[in-house]
Parts: sequence; structure tokens; C-alpha cells
Amino acid sequence: MSGRLSNFMAARRFQPWRYGAAFGIIAATTLVSEGLYRAFDTNRLSMVFLAGVLITAVTLGANPAYFAALLAFAIYNVYLVEPRFTFTFGTPEDVLVLLVFLGVAMLTGGLAGRLRDEAQRNQSRARVTGALFEASRRLSSASEEDVIRLHIVEQVAAAAKGEALMADQGQVWRSPRVEGAPEAAAALDFDALSAAGWTVRQVIADGGDLGLSAWRGGPGEAGDAEGERLINVLVDLGAAAVVRARLSAARAEVAAASRTEQLRNALLSSISHDLRTPLAAILASASSLKTFGGQFAPEVREDLVATIEEEAERLNRFVANLLSMTKLESGALSLERQSFDVVEVVNRVSERVGRTGATVLRRLEGERFLIDGDPILLEQALGNLLENAVRYGFEGGTVLVRVSDLGAAIMIEVQDEGPGVPESDLQRIFEKFYRSPASTRASQGTGLGLSIARGLVEAMNGSIAASNRGDGQGGLVVAMLFAKDMP
Amino acid sequence: MSQGPAHVLLVDDEPQLVRALTPALSAAGYEVSVAASGAAALTHLAGEGCDAVILDLGLPDLDGKTVIGRIREWSEVPIVVLSARDIEQEKIAALDLGADDFVNKPFAVGELLARLRAAMRGRERRFAARAQFKAGDLEINFADRRVLIQGQEIRLTVREYDLLRALARYAGRVVTHRQLTAAVWGGQAQVEAQFVRVLVGQLRQKIEEEPASPRIVLTEPGLGYRLIPEDEF
Repeated sequence: MSGRLSNFMAARRFQPWRYGAAFGIIAATTLVSEGLYRAFDTNRLSMVFLAGVLITAVTLGANPAYFAALLAFAIYNVYLVEPRFTFTFGTPEDVLVLLVFLGVAMLTGGLAGRLRDEAQRNQSRARVTGALFEASRRLSSASEEDVIRLHIVEQVAAAAKGEALMADQGQVWRSPRVEGAPEAAAALDFDALSAAGWTVRQVIADGGDLGLSAWRGGPGEAGDAEGERLINVLVDLGAAAVVRARLSAARAEVAAASRTEQLRNALLSSISHDLRTPLAAILASASSLKTFGGQFAPEVREDLVATIEEEAERLNRFVANLLSMTKLESGALSLERQSFDVVEVVNRVSERVGRTGATVLRRLEGERFLIDGDPILLEQALGNLLENAVRYGFEGGTVLVRVSDLGAAIMIEVQDEGPGVPESDLQRIFEKFYRSPASTRASQGTGLGLSIARGLVEAMNGSIAASNRGDGQGGLVVAMLFAKDMP
Repeated sequence: MSQGPAHVLLVDDEPQLVRALTPALSAAGYEVSVAASGAAALTHLAGEGCDAVILDLGLPDLDGKTVIGRIREWSEVPIVVLSARDIEQEKIAALDLGADDFVNKPFAVGELLARLRAAMRGRERRFAARAQFKAGDLEINFADRRVLIQGQEIRLTVREYDLLRALARYAGRVVTHRQLTAAVWGGQAQVEAQFVRVLVGQLRQKIEEEPASPRIVLTEPGLGYRLIPEDEF
């Protein structure tokens, strides 16, 4: 990229070697003429010199061609026109021939040279276009403001064949070679930068002030108008990219904030609903008993008392889940490490869940189900899995808990007969407060159970995953725990 | 109102709450029907009908406010709303849509029954076009716009009287700021809640024994005001 740019810059400057080369071409032409002169004894060789001028024009451009035409005119006159080796003219005819020669040489040389220059300008324009295209490609693939700013200074420095910097709000980005001047740049001090030989311009895009951009050519590199134009386009291109980067950063921030907001609202409404509903049932039942206790039939009284008991237990579980959640989030969960039999925990949980009217089947595969971990946390995790299976299974369906001894690991599968989980939700159901839109029937869910179960199982170095049973008959959650090492 | 036991429709999707409320409502002398969704409630009302509705605002299918709006399109049945304390806007919207009163969850059964009674009585009173309102020391004669406290006539400005009349018309239940504004300044008026507060303050100066701790015109924070009817003094 920088090579292309410097080629482009070089095409527009005075270069002595071109005139040397033109001189060489004409000298060679002279030698050829000398050969022809000796071989054919003719001095009508103006065409040979004309050819030399044309070659110069095509290879070196218009100005060297003019130079070559004048040189050829002088040599031709001195060397071939009688009297030879003088700059005088013999006959008016000779003068005329010489003048026509000069005119034709100038004209063809100029024309051919301009054609060449034009072709070269086109080429360099194509190079600028290429450079800009490359710059915009790199800028648009960058999404961070810092990266974009560094791209800009790099490219501006290359275009200026020197150094470049950008500054905004106390921050300075500079091309590798910049040493002095950053203080003035950070202070956005245009005058100090100008005094130090920098070309400074303000960077503005979409009406917003993006600080300044400054550049200066290296030693002996004088800027020209076309280079300046290229630099300005580069800076504007970069400014637009910076604005775009800022907008997308702002959008990402808003999206993150709204996700946090959603989570907070979900937490609030979950707490509000899941604490208040059992409380409402307890208070209503208790106050009913207090007000009308004497009028109620014994079974109604018992039912109300049972409601109070069940709802208090539900509240207790919810509070335990909230506490675990808080501990998991803050990392304050303390694990009791002890050896215990997973089956004991499975039995306890199955019995408790079974008491609520659900049918829970147990199946054991293997003989040894010892793990190292915290039985109370596992009980809570399993409780959440089973309650979840009961809630999302078909009413009156069975829940199957299968515990398998796989040697190095103990696998616990909880399987229900419900509609299962949509494939797209299999990951998300472990997210906090996420409730599958497919779960409309079960209005009691908090969206906490599975995420806490995962947190607790992972705290014991286990893993947990959800899938659907192959036959489309319900969901399946599999928890894996490391088995206790054989003694 | 129909003869025999009043028929109450309980609209709630939480089975445990329904289980707790049904026996108490029966014991209080109501005949109880249960609807677990907004759609079921509307169907029940259109079919069998009922004398009062207890409506939980959080329903699985329809927004509780939508249910109130649909009922009020054609029915004046008293509606008592069950709602959480923290969703003030919901309650205001429910009351503005025509709910008669609300009870914050969790609640004691006695509170719900009292609100239900007041709502049913309020409807009767409003449709009976009475010439007089009496609540404890307060007496209003609608025919000649006279207001008496302990038998002594007091002078109210036109707006104070309109405010008191609006509260008395809905005695026992919450009247929202918007409803009061409509009653005093007219339905289209754009009046700040501040004006209502000032007007209530002036009214309390004239009718309350201790305006700082009112006993007749009570504030329902964030919602509006409630005039205590005679039998709750």
C-alpha cells in the first residue's frame, strides 16, 4: 500500500535522471547515424533523429522529449548539415529543413510524451483508487475506534511519506515514527503543531467533532496538491468509520443495558409473583379459618390447613432457591465435601415430590453410587429437576429417574412424558428466568429452577444438559457427576 | 339484584388461592363460580351472569384490564380487583376502566369480603337516585346542595361540593384522580393531580375534625381518594 502511494507521488516530481536518459538515447541515435552515414554515404538521416525523439517521448514523457528534440536539432545541425561540425547554415533550404525537423520533433515528441504521461496519470489514478478502496476495506472491517484511528494515521503517514497523528479528547494516535509533538496534539493546539511543521486539519463527520489529524512529510519530501487531496479523503473516510464505530458501540451498550433491564424486571416480577401467590393463599386460608372456622366442614378445614402447609413449603423452596442463586452469583457458595450415596438423595427427593401427587419411578443401573460432594445441594438441584419434570410433563404422567453407575461417573437422568422442549430452547432453559414460550400451561414456574440446578451441579464439578427423548415423548435432563475414586 | 344468595364469579388462575377463597365466600353466603382465565370469565358472564366479579389482574390469557373493559362494554356488575401492591399504574388503569375497588395481595378474607360488600352496595346506591347521603357526622342533601356536619350547615365552594358529591356517589370505594378531575372540571379538562390535592385539602379543612388526620375523606396513596360510607364509621 505505501509502495503504491509513493509511486504515485513520485510521478509528479522533477527527476534529473530522465534528462540524462534522454541524452543517452540521443547519443545512441547519433552513433547509429554515424554508422549509417559511413555505410551509405548519406546525410539524409533526420528521420533517425526523429525516431530517437519519439523513443524518448514514449519512454520518458513529454518534458524529456522536448529536451531530446532540442538536443537532436543541435547535433543534427552540427554533425550532418554541411558544412559539417559547424553550427552555421549552408543554404536557405538547409535552414528550412532544419526548422521543419525541429518543429516535427517537438510536435511528435510532445504528443507522444503527453500520451505517455496521460497513461501514467491514469495508472496512478487507478493506484489511488486502489489505495482508497483498500483503506475503506480495512476501515470497514475494523469495529473499534482505536484500530480505525491507527489505520488512518498509518495510511496518512504513508501518503505523506512521513509521519502522521490524530488526537481527540486527550488521546493521541500516532504513526510509528512520530516522536515530538504529542503534547501539543493532545491539547489540540493547532498553532504549536503548525509551527513544528505539521499540516493540521480538524476531523469532522456527521457534524460531530472528532479532534484533529496532522501529518508532515519526511526530510526532503515536499507535499503536492494531489497527495494532499488523497490524505484529506483518507481522513474523511476514517472519520466516517470512527462515527460508525461509535454508533455501533453505543448500540451494543444500549442492547446490553436492555438485557440487564429485562433480567432485573424478570427478577422483580418473579419475586413479586412467586412470593406473593403462596403468601396470598396462606393468608386467605388462615383468615378464612379464623373468621369462619366454626362453620366449615372438617374436610374443608383440613383442606385449608393443607393449603397453608403446602404453600409455606413452596415459599421455603423458593427462598432456598433465591438464596442459592445469590450465593452462586456472588461465589459465596460453600461446598460441604463428603462422600455420600446418590441413591439416598434420589430416594428422598422422589418421595417428597411423590407426595404432591406425581408418580415418580426410580431405576438403578449398577451397584456403586458414591460421590464426593454436598448432599444438600444435590438434593436441591435434583428437587428442581424433578419438580420441573412434573410441572412440564403431562398431567397424571410419570417421571422417571434413572441413576447409572458408569464407573468414573454417576449419571442421573430425569425424564418426563410431556411435550418436550423445542430444540432452539434446549440451551436457553438453563438461563436464569428463561421460561420456554412453549410452557404456557405451567404458570407456576419461576424460571429459576433449572439455572440453579445447573449452578449447583457445576459447583460439584458435574455437568448438566437437556435433550428430548428420541421418540418425541417428553424431555430429558441428564446430570453427570464424578464418582468417588475406588479406595 | 336477583333474589336468593348473591352469585360471585371468582376469576383466578392460581388453584391454591381459589382453594383458599371458595369456602370463605360460600361461608359468607355467596354462591361461587370459578373461572381460570379471562376468556372463561367473559363466557360465564355472558351465559349465567353473576352479581359480582372478583378478578385477579394477572391472568394467563387476557390482561385483566382487557377483561374489565370487555365487561364494562355491556355490564355494570360490580368488579373487585385482586392485585399486587407494587403495580400502581395497573390499579389506576383498572379503576379508570370501571373496576369498583381493589384488594392488595396478600389479603385477609375479611378485607376482601368488606370490599365486595361495599362494591355491591355502592352499585345499588348509585342506581337508586337517592336525594340524601349520610355518613357518620356528614350529611349531604343533593336536591338543595346543602352539606351538614353534626347537623350544622357548612358552606362549600362549587368545586368543593362537586368533589364531595363525586366521592359520596362512589362512597366506600377508591375514586381515581382522573375520575375526580372529570367530575369537578369536566371530562375534557387537563388538570394536574396537584389541583385535586389542593381541593381535597380545602374540603378537609371544612368537614374534618382534624384535617391532618382525616377520617372521612381518606387518601389512597398514588391512586386517589375514598369516602368512608356510613356503616364503616
